[in-house]
Amino acid sequence: MRRLLALLLIAACCAASWPAALRPYAFTFPRDHGSHRGDRLEWWYVTGHLLAADGHRYGFELTLFRVGIVPGAPSPRPGESRWRNGEIFPAHFAVSDDTAGRFLYAERLARPALDQAGASSDGLDVHAGDWWIRGLEPLRLHAQTRAAAISLRLRSLKPPAVHGQDGISRKGACAGCASHYYSLTRLSGEGSVRVGTQRRAVRALAWLDHEFGSGDLDAGVVGWDWFAMQLADGRDVMLYHLRRRDGSFIPASSGSLIGRDGSVEHLRAADFSIQATGAWRSPQSRARYPSGWIVRVPRAGVDVRVVPRLRDQELVSRGVSYWEGDVCLVPLSAPADGAARRACGAGQGYVELTGYAGEVPR
Amino acid sequence: MTLAWVLRALVLGYVREHPWRTLMTVSAVALGVAVAVAVQLANATAVRSFQSSVNVVSSRVNLQILADGAPFDERALLAVERLPSIVYAQPAVTGTILAGARANDARSGELLEVIGVDVLRPYPGAQAQEAATGAGAQGQHPPSLSTLIARDGVLISRRVAAQYHVQQGSHWNVVAGTRHVSLPVAAVLPTLVGVDSSVVFTDISTAQELLGAVGRLDRIDCVVEPASKLAAAEAALRKVLPPNAQITTPRRRTGEIASLLRSFQLNLAALAYVALLVGTYLIYNAVAIAVVQRRGEIGVLRALGVSRRAIFAAFVAEGAIVGVLGSLLGLGLGALAARSAVAAVTRTVSSLYVFEHADRVVYDWRVFLFVFAIGVIASTLSTLPPAREAAGTEPATTMRAGAFERRSPDWLRRSAAVGLALLLLGGALTLLPPLDGVPVAGFAAGLSFVFGISLASPLGLGVLARVAAVLLARYPSAALGARSLGVSLRRNGVALAALAVAVGMSVAVGTLVSSFRSTVAAWTGQTLKADLFITPPGPQNVGFDASTGAQLYARIKALPAVDAVDVFRGTDITFRGRLTNLGATNFSSLERRAKMEFIGRVDRPQLQRELVGHDAVVISRPFAVRFNVRPGERIDLTTPLGRHPFAVSAIYNDYSSDAGFVVMDIATYRRWWHDRALNSIAVYAKPGVDPGALRTRIERAAQPARLNVQTTRELRAQVLRVFDRTFAITSALYVISIAIAMLGVTTALAALVLERRREIGLLRYLGLRRAEVRAMVLIEAGLLGVGAAIAGLVLGLALGLVLIYVINAQTFGWLIELRVPWRSFAELAAAVVVAALAAAVLPAGAAARMPTAEAVREE
Repeated sequence: MRRLLALLLIAACCAASWPAALRPYAFTFPRDHGSHRGDRLEWWYVTGHLLAADGHRYGFELTLFRVGIVPGAPSPRPGESRWRNGEIFPAHFAVSDDTAGRFLYAERLARPALDQAGASSDGLDVHAGDWWIRGLEPLRLHAQTRAAAISLRLRSLKPPAVHGQDGISRKGACAGCASHYYSLTRLSGEGSVRVGTQRRAVRALAWLDHEFGSGDLDAGVVGWDWFAMQLADGRDVMLYHLRRRDGSFIPASSGSLIGRDGSVEHLRAADFSIQATGAWRSPQSRARYPSGWIVRVPRAGVDVRVVPRLRDQELVSRGVSYWEGDVCLVPLSAPADGAARRACGAGQGYVELTGYAGEVPR
Repeated sequence: MTLAWVLRALVLGYVREHPWRTLMTVSAVALGVAVAVAVQLANATAVRSFQSSVNVVSSRVNLQILADGAPFDERALLAVERLPSIVYAQPAVTGTILAGARANDARSGELLEVIGVDVLRPYPGAQAQEAATGAGAQGQHPPSLSTLIARDGVLISRRVAAQYHVQQGSHWNVVAGTRHVSLPVAAVLPTLVGVDSSVVFTDISTAQELLGAVGRLDRIDCVVEPASKLAAAEAALRKVLPPNAQITTPRRRTGEIASLLRSFQLNLAALAYVALLVGTYLIYNAVAIAVVQRRGEIGVLRALGVSRRAIFAAFVAEGAIVGVLGSLLGLGLGALAARSAVAAVTRTVSSLYVFEHADRVVYDWRVFLFVFAIGVIASTLSTLPPAREAAGTEPATTMRAGAFERRSPDWLRRSAAVGLALLLLGGALTLLPPLDGVPVAGFAAGLSFVFGISLASPLGLGVLARVAAVLLARYPSAALGARSLGVSLRRNGVALAALAVAVGMSVAVGTLVSSFRSTVAAWTGQTLKADLFITPPGPQNVGFDASTGAQLYARIKALPAVDAVDVFRGTDITFRGRLTNLGATNFSSLERRAKMEFIGRVDRPQLQRELVGHDAVVISRPFAVRFNVRPGERIDLTTPLGRHPFAVSAIYNDYSSDAGFVVMDIATYRRWWHDRALNSIAVYAKPGVDPGALRTRIERAAQPARLNVQTTRELRAQVLRVFDRTFAITSALYVISIAIAMLGVTTALAALVLERRREIGLLRYLGLRRAEVRAMVLIEAGLLGVGAAIAGLVLGLALGLVLIYVINAQTFGWLIELRVPWRSFAELAAAVVVAALAAAVLPAGAAARMPTAEAVREE
């Protein structure tokens, strides 16, 4: 459930000429790991947790967006400029150095000319310059800036978990308010991370989201709160609330519960509750974000306190800013402070909060 | 008694009595300073406007990769980006589009610079980026990326939007190369600081396709961080970039352009300062007259015990005050005139050197300060001799009425001797070579001639007066006039010198322009031999892209009425660290067609064999002079395939660029540069074919491409029009200095008449009639005019020779055949005499009306 934030640049061009995700969709892999040029928007979103041998902890986010600016995203024809691209690739990269208490991020906007960016239509292979996500067995990803770098090799422990119903993830009541969305909720592996000049070998547990579609958000939606949780018992939970201006959420909000064996159970809005327990004001964007939650999925016996590992994990973008952070899951029964909290006894996760620093563009 | 008191007694009273004379002196200085300021500002603006287009969008760009000659492959960008110290790299394609062209006039419209960049890479800290990424101007939608990337959207300035009546969302019809295109306006940018308002921004995809540069780049703007890694980054880039990608910094690039314009600007500035020099002559003159007129007061003051130093200081202070007032006034006038001077200078720079556009004048305070200082210093210095004279006279002498001027034949002879020595020195200086490309000795020679003539003119005037007195002996009043001219030689000498310098300057520039123009006209006649010349439409030749050029060439060549087709390609290259031109044409027809005028004995068939199929070139004379290269040598040119030696086969005469031309056969050029673009196509018609009819056929064959097809006669006229435009500012300069000199003559004559009122009264008392007095004064003035015309012609011809054979030859390498426009000089001389007479009409009338009794009583 993530939407292109860099969309601010693209004044909703010709959305009508793109087909909306209306019909039931049957995913076929590995083809559907690749790009879908018939759809206007698409993204590959990897978040995860890294642990070095010396106990140093990190979180990371690497997102590659694909935005079609011409229906069908045609490639340049012979004789045309190689820069005449029908699609562009914005990308975000963030590292949360949990142990040192630092949050670093960068964004870029690349286009396919000279192979500076691109996505394969056959399988997972997408890049924006030297930031890339590639392959499945193993899945490798890489990103670097002057401030930070990451390089991982991951294997999926579960099959792809398709969200929503009949391959359609609803984003509102309107007909076109939907997309196609699946996740690889447990990617395990190793690699290295660098912050400044300090490089460490790490073990990783990550989560990949891949979503595509041409549709829109429901009218009245100003943003969303999204939760990806890897529970200590081996189950995974994805939840999202689509918020209205008054803070209430629309009924189309939903989620998925992924069992140890990879089985997926659709969760409707009534099946879960998300309750904020604190707030944080960004010194940069002046936005006030919720910070800390109690999340309950009574049907599945999930009852956790969600605690941000760092308060400030806000990506202040040239257009719209958002919070995307590494969180710890603490059993609700555990005391609210001290060692239990740091132990993340109930698991770990990533939370995305949008629409708090200005509405998301559509 | 303080200086202030002396000043008040001597100067203020005088100013109050002679307000007009003071005003004229101040105006003369003001005009001179104004011209100097306007020209200097125009020069500064020309360089600065280029500078601002070098770092067009971001001042943080500290490294640039520029195409040297032909554009380079766009894949160079990837190599650049791999360097870790390059934190930002923006690829750019540049060129021009033609806006506002009228259908019936192929030379109409305005060429606007197009800069195509990757709109997804906002320049760091640049305003253009804000506009491109959404912030934009108020009241507008952010420009949509799909308009920019997928639909050829353009970002234009408010000025352009207003001029061509377009706004955000509307379509703008322009001509790109030879094609009509309609471009959607993605946004109208607010005025951007440091960015020329005529620049049109597009996405790189649009620019590559519009300008026929698919796959090519003209420039990559980089930010290297930290800046201490600049040198290392440059060295690392050198290893990975194609040889014709030049790595430079914005500062270095501006320096290159500045040095390219240096000669042109230096010459312009030198001419401007002559106007100021004429102005200072007038101050000298005015102060000298004042000294004579205030002899009485000076005597009284001296008798009262005022020291010589105080008198001296008072007169110098007067000069300084006139200098300050005149200069201040001049700065204001100059600032006003700068706008038109900028227009004239940038037009010349654009047509001769680099395409540029200056929106506004760069009011550089240093120019004001500098010219102000020069104005004040020159004014003050010019008062030193008369002030010394004032201080040097004894109280007794000055008190004696009727003492007009202490005449000393010694002084006259000494002055003439020094003048002669200066003239000889000037002659010797013309033999010296230039210093670092600047004809320092040439300018010094010119200055020596000016001062030499000035110093020799009193003696010359004396001789003229004596000869005239003898010749006019039969007419008493005329002879009296001639004799009285000879009485105050010093004062008259200065008036004559001022006028002579102004006339001389006019004659010199006239000689240069006339000779140059007739040389160029003859040259175009000898070299422009084809029947039709074809370029893209627009006021300047921006060339055809490769595919358009090839297509046109094929279509034209296939026409049955066409006998032969010549092509020409010209680009800028850097040679030995300096900008120059590289040209290419087909030399395979050299034997049959005289397309160039070679210097020395050249066997055309032999030359053709040398040039075709070999790495050989011919060079223009300016190139030979500028780089000191001779036939038989080899020169290393940087090609996209690396540095390569080319044999110099011959030198040819060229007046199109003082930066010089290296020309090779088009096949050789294409082999080394991989560039198939063309700048012009020349067509030879079959015998008996009417060029006008052929033009129509060519235009039809080229449809829908728009062309600018000119007949030989039109092109020759066009060349001369460009020439005249180039010299327009020069001509304006000498008109101004003549005006300054006329001011001076009027003041000088009026003063002389007033000074001699007692003498005139005496003459009237002795029986001279009013008409005879008037005739006497007019004769005197006329003789002064004649003297100035003669001295001016002599000086002007000498200066003209220096300009042509020393200054131009040394700085530009132009071979100019002397042609003196005698007729217009005769007219000028007549005009000078008439003007001198006209200037004397009022004083003559005043002298004639002078009551006899009063004058005699004074005596």
